[in-house]
Amino acid sequence: MAELQHHRALILQRHRHLKWRAFDWLEALLMVLCGVCIFMFTLAALCDVVTRAIGAPWLWLQQGTTAFFCWGVFLGMAAATRRNDHFYLTEITKRLTGTPRSVIEIANRLIVLVVSVLLTWFGWKNAMLDLGSFRMPSLIPLTVYTGIVPAAGVLIGLFSIEQLVNGWRNGFEGPEDRENVAVLPE
Amino acid sequence: MSNGAILILMGCLFLLFGYMGVPVTFALIAGVLLAVQFTQISMQSMVGQLFHGIDSEALLAVPFFLLVGELMASSDVVHRMIRLAQTLVGHMRGGLAQVVTLFSMFFAGISGSSVADVAVLSRTVAPEMDKEGYDRAFTAALIASASTMANLIPPSIMAIVYGATGNVSIGGLFLAGVVPGVLIGIGLMVYSYFWGPAGIKKKRAPFAEIAAASRDSALPMVIPVIIMGGILSGWFTPTEAGMIAAIYVLVVLIPVFRPHHVYELPRDFMYAGLLYSLPLAAVAAASAFGWMVAYLRGPDIVAGYITGIAGTSGPMIMFLLVVLFVIVGDFLDAVPAIIIFMPIINKLTEIGDIKPLHMGVVVITTLVFGLITPPYGLSLLVASKYVGVGFGRAVVRSLPLYAVFFLTIAFVVLFPDVVLWLPKMLLPESVGCFKGPGSSAYICPP
Repeated sequence: MAELQHHRALILQRHRHLKWRAFDWLEALLMVLCGVCIFMFTLAALCDVVTRAIGAPWLWLQQGTTAFFCWGVFLGMAAATRRNDHFYLTEITKRLTGTPRSVIEIANRLIVLVVSVLLTWFGWKNAMLDLGSFRMPSLIPLTVYTGIVPAAGVLIGLFSIEQLVNGWRNGFEGPEDRENVAVLPE
Repeated sequence: MSNGAILILMGCLFLLFGYMGVPVTFALIAGVLLAVQFTQISMQSMVGQLFHGIDSEALLAVPFFLLVGELMASSDVVHRMIRLAQTLVGHMRGGLAQVVTLFSMFFAGISGSSVADVAVLSRTVAPEMDKEGYDRAFTAALIASASTMANLIPPSIMAIVYGATGNVSIGGLFLAGVVPGVLIGIGLMVYSYFWGPAGIKKKRAPFAEIAAASRDSALPMVIPVIIMGGILSGWFTPTEAGMIAAIYVLVVLIPVFRPHHVYELPRDFMYAGLLYSLPLAAVAAASAFGWMVAYLRGPDIVAGYITGIAGTSGPMIMFLLVVLFVIVGDFLDAVPAIIIFMPIINKLTEIGDIKPLHMGVVVITTLVFGLITPPYGLSLLVASKYVGVGFGRAVVRSLPLYAVFFLTIAFVVLFPDVVLWLPKMLLPESVGCFKGPGSSAYICPP
């Protein structure tokens, strides 16, 4: 039961050995922003329904809803990178130890790091190009939406470097690899 | 390099990275960005495709239904529904196993997330099953199998993603999922009754107790009515229905049943915010992957193989697609699988002259089965972790339950009229019916 609550913590203590305390505020901030995004687009969707029902629709509300939704996805993607909360195909790596484990973990983080650099660079170019495109009818530049892609890229890169450096120093194995999340006693 | 070779390279890189332990989202993006080097496509436009993949009004429904499930689970309102299930079927042979299945059917009508269902049942019913001496491997297998109904009985997140990417009516997919969802529920109950552990025999609940439990759970049980009633009456889109359901939980259920939980709401929102980003980040990456598959003419290549065996026979094409998706579902999460394979599904739907809604429900039912098959059966992985039993043992115990899924999939393929009866009655446009000129009666193609 405690484990279920632990997964909901603002700053996850799992994989502590791969984290710098200096970045904890960033994880907490991203979690808060995820909450703000889902709250705001819930509110915007509600206002959209209400204003339409009373015959005075605010058309820009739909664009606000989409913006919060997309920001939420990319901010969550960055937060999940620090928390190791993404979907994985396998947990084979967790069963490895020693050098083979380190080699694969480093390779994994390098792949994520390269992806994050590409997301940042080409996402930035894409966002700059979108300065000339606008969402109708509010005429909001598309950059307001797509700008979150390079921002997420920077954060993902930062967290990958954090994990690489700490994994190199402290090793990637941690007590959570053998963690028991069972709600039933042994 | 030929298109086929690039496709194979892209697929192999994704699987290699994925099985090395790179998160699915990044493994997909890495595969795509490497494959782009062999084409005329710019990296910039591919990165833009990540954003456009989620820039869809229909996908907004996903976080709302996840939020509803999260709020219901964390505020413990679901206890009332479990009690109702206990009074209704708790006296039968394998009483708690029956409760798991019936509760999952109730919860499926509220949340679109199988994992939320597993988390709730593991916390509440699994300890009771343990006390009554149920084998933990069976408990995990049953909870995981029953949780799959969340993706069939409306609201279903898979249906939303399928409808949004395949341009199929989401309301129609919701309704078409009812028959396979209920069939799986009945199948699991029949299995538990005849072949499952017996549990402790209990007395049948008196009518007064059933009435009291029904009254207690009446407010939560209004949610499916709000969702489907709103969609069918045309009051809401599926997205708005999800939002209204979330607002209903926030302003009615929590203040009435768990007023102190209000202080926990910021945490619920933060966690739900993170939770919805995970599948949708995979959607963004998978949509770029699917776009590349379509650009490289993957649908033509795969459709060529399939029609080479099945010709243009609709049922044969569907059976081969079922085989394909049983294999795909073993290795890949359902949401990215739907998006990656959508161009291929669309092509085959056209070749086999299959109703898109029928194809949708066949694909979803098959992918739902992937939630309990190794090596990547997400529901079974989570259930075995929570229940505290080895994944291998849980897999062995779930093997007999696979029969329920095979029979349901075969039924859905072979009896489209039964599966599509509900959408045809309640949402005729979703199955291609249209109003005749000068009359309000619908004309439906055969």
